[in-house]
Amino acid sequence: MTLPILVVDDSAMARKMLIKSLPPDWDVSISQAANGIEAMVAYREGKAAVMFLDLNMPEMDGYQVLEALRQEDMNSMVIVVSADIQPIAQERVMSMGAIAFVKKPISFDALNSVLKQYGVMI
Amino acid sequence: MTLAALTNDQRDALQELTNIAMGQAGSSLATLLDAFVDLSVPRIRVVEVVELPATLSDLVGKNNLVSAVRQSFQGYLRGEAIIIFGEPGTHALADLMGYEGELAESGQAELLLDVANVLSGACLGGMMEQIRNFTETHGPAELSFSMPSIMVRDVPAAQIIDPQKVQWTHSLLLEVNFTIKDRNFVAHLTMLMPEDGIEKIRGIVDEFIAAF
Amino acid sequence: MSEGVIPFSLAENVLKRIDVGIFVLNKNFEVQLWNNFMVHHSGHQAKDMLGKNLFDAFPDLPKPWFTKKVNTVIMLNNFAFISWENRPFLFRFAHNRPITGGADHMYQNCMLMPVSNDSSKPESVCVVIFDVTDTAIATTMLKDAMERIADISNRDGLTGIYNRRYLETRLESEFDRTRRYGGTFSMILFDLDFFKKVNDTYGHLAGDKVLVEVARRMSDQLRTTDVVGRYGGEEFALILPETPIEGARVFGDRLREMIELEPVIYDNTTIPVTVSMGATEYSADLASYDKLILQSDVALYASKAGGRNCLTCYSPELETIAASGAKH
Repeated sequence: MTLPILVVDDSAMARKMLIKSLPPDWDVSISQAANGIEAMVAYREGKAAVMFLDLNMPEMDGYQVLEALRQEDMNSMVIVVSADIQPIAQERVMSMGAIAFVKKPISFDALNSVLKQYGVMI
Repeated sequence: MTLAALTNDQRDALQELTNIAMGQAGSSLATLLDAFVDLSVPRIRVVEVVELPATLSDLVGKNNLVSAVRQSFQGYLRGEAIIIFGEPGTHALADLMGYEGELAESGQAELLLDVANVLSGACLGGMMEQIRNFTETHGPAELSFSMPSIMVRDVPAAQIIDPQKVQWTHSLLLEVNFTIKDRNFVAHLTMLMPEDGIEKIRGIVDEFIAAF
Repeated sequence: MSEGVIPFSLAENVLKRIDVGIFVLNKNFEVQLWNNFMVHHSGHQAKDMLGKNLFDAFPDLPKPWFTKKVNTVIMLNNFAFISWENRPFLFRFAHNRPITGGADHMYQNCMLMPVSNDSSKPESVCVVIFDVTDTAIATTMLKDAMERIADISNRDGLTGIYNRRYLETRLESEFDRTRRYGGTFSMILFDLDFFKKVNDTYGHLAGDKVLVEVARRMSDQLRTTDVVGRYGGEEFALILPETPIEGARVFGDRLREMIELEPVIYDNTTIPVTVSMGATEYSADLASYDKLILQSDVALYASKAGGRNCLTCYSPELETIAASGAKH
């Protein structure tokens, strides 16, 4: 079954970079969001079984999205993808319910190992 | 020479490049100060040098008194990093670095220089790493830094740069601010590059876009 | 390996003879390289330094600060710098100006560079020491000269106290500072009584002596933050930071009395001197610092009109006295 995944980042470039790094044979349907508000809309439409989430965005940032998801039952596997790599940021997102933190710039291997580790990919 | 503005795609790509580099700078600062650092979304502008005082005022806040440190870099890219510290600046820093009581004048100066050096080194180092990974560089993709120095203490942002003393007419300005909320600490990292650098960056950005 | 590799022996030679200090430390602060500059200036041979802990060889080095500096370079993989203007030297070496001198010791700028085989994980730090004694001496001399020039341009030639220009600048900055941060301050304008008569009776040289004396006595009584200056021919101004009007009154009266009680001696002649004073305090509803001067002036006028040799504190009612009479 095609997995609906959501890529959330205010930078079109960053979204492109992420999508390009996804495993090529992964059966997914990809949606994109440019900030937290669009992300929540897409989530409620069921488009985010897996969510790749940037932290640093205008309007509604990654932390606020995690908080909103928690209040709505967290039906998404959230992988935070961020340039903000300070250790406290990483701890924070994990404690807010993200399943993994991947540093930018994305590497195919890093992403692959996270997806395999959490059984997201077959 | 008229400078063509960056296209939206180029601007977006440069912003992401800066975002990644600034993330490294933020992480370095967080490690150095053992605190959580809030990073803003990077702002990018191509500015006529005569507009620099107004632009800096706009970015930092017109009525705030600031101190500024400059550090030049050369090699693959050349330009100057200007690190602007908000008013409480050194008190918050001294506290975070574990100094007790009032810091003497030279100690305060040294703190500003050290933090500025960490920010510019990490950010530019981060940019160079991306450049090495994603583009074909002609010549060694290395940077070296000169010793940082204090430009001004406790003045409005518009007074940081005197356009008459700047030799180029346009400047690429990349800006991010680092905030440590409960300590009332703010630092803005602005990177200024002259015209020839802008063209080089444009080339790098186009390669970056093409790689994806 | 990159292009243009320098033959090792050539590099070694350059390193030995170059006129900057170069040494390398590993993560445990053990010396891995110690060039000739370091040998000559420290008196420690390379063979004695290699493998040794730097702090053991140089117990006077500020250990906690330097440790943090080096560790930051390794941890962040970043250059670091030390400027002579913040720290005159890292090592207390003698300078190389034995004849012309001008300094106690060598002034140093330092650069710290991360060093490793794999450029992302530094294992050592290379420290480069630049002798900047000449620059330091020149810069210090320049700074001193500029300070003296600035000071002279702020001073009154005759009495040596501040001049009107400086007084106004100080007043303005005190005003702005108080408006911004709170607190209060006062100012006193004072004027020698019957000074024209002193000049006519005893001569201008006597008059000058009186001015110098009064200025000197005022200066001696000041607290460190107070400022006294010559505002006009026989007019002086006092700026008293952190002082409300009552404090100004007490202070001013004391000064006034001190001048009254002790006449000025010039060329075996005794010249009695008194002063009239007008005092006022900062207030948030004043538009600018000139208004403060106007208020002091009004109060001063009241002192003159009221018989001289006294101090009046400003109050709005005094404006009518000033308006009705001619200027003193």
